[in-house]
Amino acid sequence: MTSHHIANEIHHVVREKKPFSLVDDLLMSRWFLYSMSVILFLGIWYYVVYIDVFGRGLCYPHEVITEIIRLTSRKLAGKELWEHAWDSSRRVFIGFGIACVLGIPLGFFMGISKYFNAVFNPIFNLIKPMPPISWVSLSILWLGIGEEPKIFIIAIGAFVPLVLNAYNGIRLIDEELYDVVRMAGGSHMKEIWEVSFPAAVPAIFAGLQIALSGAWSCVLAAELVSSRSGLGFVIVQGMNTGKAAMVIAGMLLIALIAYVCSFCISYLERKICPWRRDLSTH
Amino acid sequence: MHNIKIACENVSKTFLQKGDTRVDVLKDVSITVRDNEFVVILGPGQCGKTTLLRMIAGFEKPTTGRVLMDGQPVGGPGRDKGFVFQSYMLFAWRTVRGNVEVGLRMRGVPKAERRVISQQYIDMVGLTGFENHYPHQLSGGMKQRVGIARAYCNDPQIMLLDEPFGQLDAQTRLYMEKETERIWLQEKRTVIFVTNNIDEALTLGDRIYTMKDKLPGTLCNCYEVDLPRPRESTDKEFLRLRKQIIEESELVL
Repeated sequence: MTSHHIANEIHHVVREKKPFSLVDDLLMSRWFLYSMSVILFLGIWYYVVYIDVFGRGLCYPHEVITEIIRLTSRKLAGKELWEHAWDSSRRVFIGFGIACVLGIPLGFFMGISKYFNAVFNPIFNLIKPMPPISWVSLSILWLGIGEEPKIFIIAIGAFVPLVLNAYNGIRLIDEELYDVVRMAGGSHMKEIWEVSFPAAVPAIFAGLQIALSGAWSCVLAAELVSSRSGLGFVIVQGMNTGKAAMVIAGMLLIALIAYVCSFCISYLERKICPWRRDLSTH
Repeated sequence: MHNIKIACENVSKTFLQKGDTRVDVLKDVSITVRDNEFVVILGPGQCGKTTLLRMIAGFEKPTTGRVLMDGQPVGGPGRDKGFVFQSYMLFAWRTVRGNVEVGLRMRGVPKAERRVISQQYIDMVGLTGFENHYPHQLSGGMKQRVGIARAYCNDPQIMLLDEPFGQLDAQTRLYMEKETERIWLQEKRTVIFVTNNIDEALTLGDRIYTMKDKLPGTLCNCYEVDLPRPRESTDKEFLRLRKQIIEESELVL
C-alpha cells in the first residue's frame, strides 16, 4: 500500500534471484537445521559404536528402538513396560504435587511478608544448596523402603525451585505497581490480590517447569532405593545385566514423558496467562 | 478569584539510604495550585520533582512542612488524587478495559456500570476499539492513554502527571500534549504536570514552576503563561518566554 511496502517487495524479489539462493534458503530453514543436528548426532553415535570405543557399553541407535519394542512385549519383575512408566510417573506426580502445595505458598508468603521471610529464609537457605540425592539415606531411615522415601526425594528436588521462583516472582515486582492500587484507594489485601498474585504467576510457572525437570531427574535416584518397579528400576536392571540398549531405552522414556509433562505445563501457562507474548511451544 | 486547591508549605524530604546515609531530595519547596489550574513543574532529571509529586499524591510523607489539599493535610493516596506514572505501570495481565476499570473494581462497582464508566474514558482518550487489547500490544503513546483513562476513571479532584510522555518519540509526544490539552479542556481538573521539556511546559501550563538542577531540589521561579490555547510553538510570545526561562534557569546552573 505505502511506498515502503512496495520497496520491501522489490527487495524481496531481488533477494530471491541471488545466486546460491538454494543454499541460503536451506541454511535459513529451521527444519533443515533440526534434521542436520539429529543426523549429525546419530552419525557420530553410529561411528563411535562402529569403531568400538565403549565395547559392550554402547549399542547402535536402532537397537534402542528394538529394545523398547522388545520390552513392551515382555514383563520385567512382573510388570509391563507401561506399568513401570506409570509407577515412575505416579511417584513424580505425587512428589511434585506435594512440593507445589508446600513450596509455592511458602515462596509466596516469603515474598509478601518480610517477617515471614525473616523466619523461613535462613532455614530455606540451608536446605537450598543440598543436592536432593543426599536425602536418600535419611529418607530411608525415616520412611523405610516403600513408596514414601521415593516420593520424599522427588518432592525435595522439586521444592527448592518452586519456593525460589515464587519468592523472586513477588520480590521483583515493580513497587510502583502497588501505587496504582493505592491511588485507587485499595487496601493492602487488594494490593496482594490485584498485583502480587497475577504478577508472580509467570515466575511461578517458570518454577513449575524447572521443578518438574528436577523431579524427573530425581526419579532415578529415588528408584535406586530397593525398587522393584519404575523406569529407574529398568535402567538399573539394564546396568546389572550389561544391556546398554535397555539403559538407554529407560533414559529415553524418561525424557519422553518429562517432555510431554513440560509441554502440558506450557499449554496451561498459555491458557492462564494470555497476556504473555513470548511463550514458546518448545 | 479562584480557590487554592493544593498548597505545599515549606516541604522538605530526606531519604535514608542503606540505613544511615541521608539524602536531601527537596528543601523548602512552597507551591500553590488553584482550582482547575494547569500547573507545570519544570526541571532537569534528578531534581526531586517526582518526589514532590509523589508527596502531593500521598505516596510519600514530607520530612518537614505540609502538603494541603483544600486546606486539609494530605493523609495518603486515594481516589481523589489521580496519578499518571512515567513508566505507565499498567497491569500486564489485564486488558485495556481491565486496566481502566481497576479503581471501579476495587470499589465494588457492578460490572454493567463499570463498563459504562470505563467506556466513557476509553473513548475520551481515543482508545475505542482497543478495549480487549493487552498492554504489550499497544504502542507507548497508547499505553499512556490507558494510564490517563485509568486515573480519570476514579473521578479524581486533581490529576498528577509524572513526566507522562518522557518515553515517547518527539512526534508522538507533541500529539499527546495536544491530546492532554483537549482532555483537560473537556474534563476540567486541577492538574500538576511534571516534565523536563520546556516546550511541553509552555504548551500546556497556565503556570510553570522551575526547579534547580541539583539535590536538594529547590524552586527557582514561577512564570505565568498567559497565552491563548491551543498554543503555537512558533508564536512570538511563546518564544520570548521560552528564552526567558532558559536564560533564568541557566543563571542557577
